[in-house]
Amino acid sequence: MRHPPPGPMGVAEVARYSLLVFSALALQHSLLDFVRISGAHPDVMLLFPAAAGYVGGPERGATVGFCTGLAVDLLLPTTFGLSALVGCLVGFGTGAATAGLVRSSWWLPVVSFTAATVTGLVGYAVLGAVLGDPAMLRADLASALVVATPAAAVLALPVRVAVAWAVPPAPPSATANPGGAFR
Amino acid sequence: MARTRRARRSRRPRLTIGLLILASITVITLDYRGDAHGAIGSLKRVAHDVFSPVQSAVDAAVRPIGSFLAGAVHAGALEQQNAKLRAELGVEQRRLLARGADAATLRSLQALEHLSWAAAVTQVDAIPKVAAQVVALNPSDFAATVQLDVGRAEGVDVGMPVVGGAGLVGQVIDVWSSGCTVRIVTDARSAVGVRYGNPAGYALMQGSGIGDPLAVQYIQPGTALGVGEVLTTSGLQNALFPPGIPVARITSFSSTPSSTQEAVSAQPVVDLAALQYVDVLQWEPAP
Repeated sequence: MRHPPPGPMGVAEVARYSLLVFSALALQHSLLDFVRISGAHPDVMLLFPAAAGYVGGPERGATVGFCTGLAVDLLLPTTFGLSALVGCLVGFGTGAATAGLVRSSWWLPVVSFTAATVTGLVGYAVLGAVLGDPAMLRADLASALVVATPAAAVLALPVRVAVAWAVPPAPPSATANPGGAFR
Repeated sequence: MARTRRARRSRRPRLTIGLLILASITVITLDYRGDAHGAIGSLKRVAHDVFSPVQSAVDAAVRPIGSFLAGAVHAGALEQQNAKLRAELGVEQRRLLARGADAATLRSLQALEHLSWAAAVTQVDAIPKVAAQVVALNPSDFAATVQLDVGRAEGVDVGMPVVGGAGLVGQVIDVWSSGCTVRIVTDARSAVGVRYGNPAGYALMQGSGIGDPLAVQYIQPGTALGVGEVLTTSGLQNALFPPGIPVARITSFSSTPSSTQEAVSAQPVVDLAALQYVDVLQWEPAP
């Protein structure tokens, strides 16, 4: 099932998504940051751009990922704008990669969000180093991946449901499926 | 006509991602160059001020549950740890008393030798402190930092050293009204001037990332060192920290005939993974 490209988000959608991101940041910094295994912790914030791309397509994934990343950057000591860059790439990538797939499988968001988290973490380290902070590559990326990957798999479905509530996809239309058999 | 509209629609996501990437790179560049540090810093401070009460409320609601579960699971180990800590506290109290006597002897010797300049050297114990609690540990996996519950309202400022337990924890890098961020010594961006040996030698200690040993640089090959030797802050002119704060213990050292410096590794004297309470020293580096 292919969704038409979404229009701009309305006030209600922006308000719902802002509330969702604010709650997720509170959960991340008050609870998940303290769940430490080998010095690393689960990262729920990378799942939001992936979920927005999955639910609303690449364009919405990129926009929502950028805004989510900026919100994350406000509370992190690392370079401002880096999470925004990674967020928009992850949102766009997830949307583009899953756009043509059948959405009936429950495991599709689990697999795609987990892959997005791995790509996002590696991209964060590499882009950070390329854009002027070589210390990013000295971080323990292996531990971060080992902890964040299973956590992403566990949190994928709740995050997908929450993002679909906050920014619901546009209903399917006939023009959005020009190659369909019943046109 | 329909084809033109369709082509325009298929180009739109690419245009959007292009613009967003450009916007991100612009923000990153401004942050690195420092052109927008004032504006970005103010934004971050406002965000922290808004977010801190929420974080504290969630923390207050969630932490007792976590502590209860952890306590139930580790009850036996905690009892043992308590007994060990009581014994260590006794030893430290004895040392403190002995140190007080040493300080009195030193003062009288300084007076006898007319070493009035020695009194001007900063004594760490004499620096005013602000007690703080760690409220967030390493918010990013890519930077070794902690957040404390004290900020500008308590007189904390950027650049102030933070000590906890037996020694140096790090330095305040960002501060808002009710909290601050501290870069800890293991962060890959951290560098501390240290003093070792007798007679004193000076070296630079750099972080290598969370959980990794510290690298001590600029020690000549063949220098007499000992495993377990404590490195303290150098306190040289324009140093970022006052002198004499223990930072790390040497864990290994080696050199080859062709090496230009000793390869020295060290471990922080503070258990950084279990930080809970620290002191911010109200001391600022000389401008």
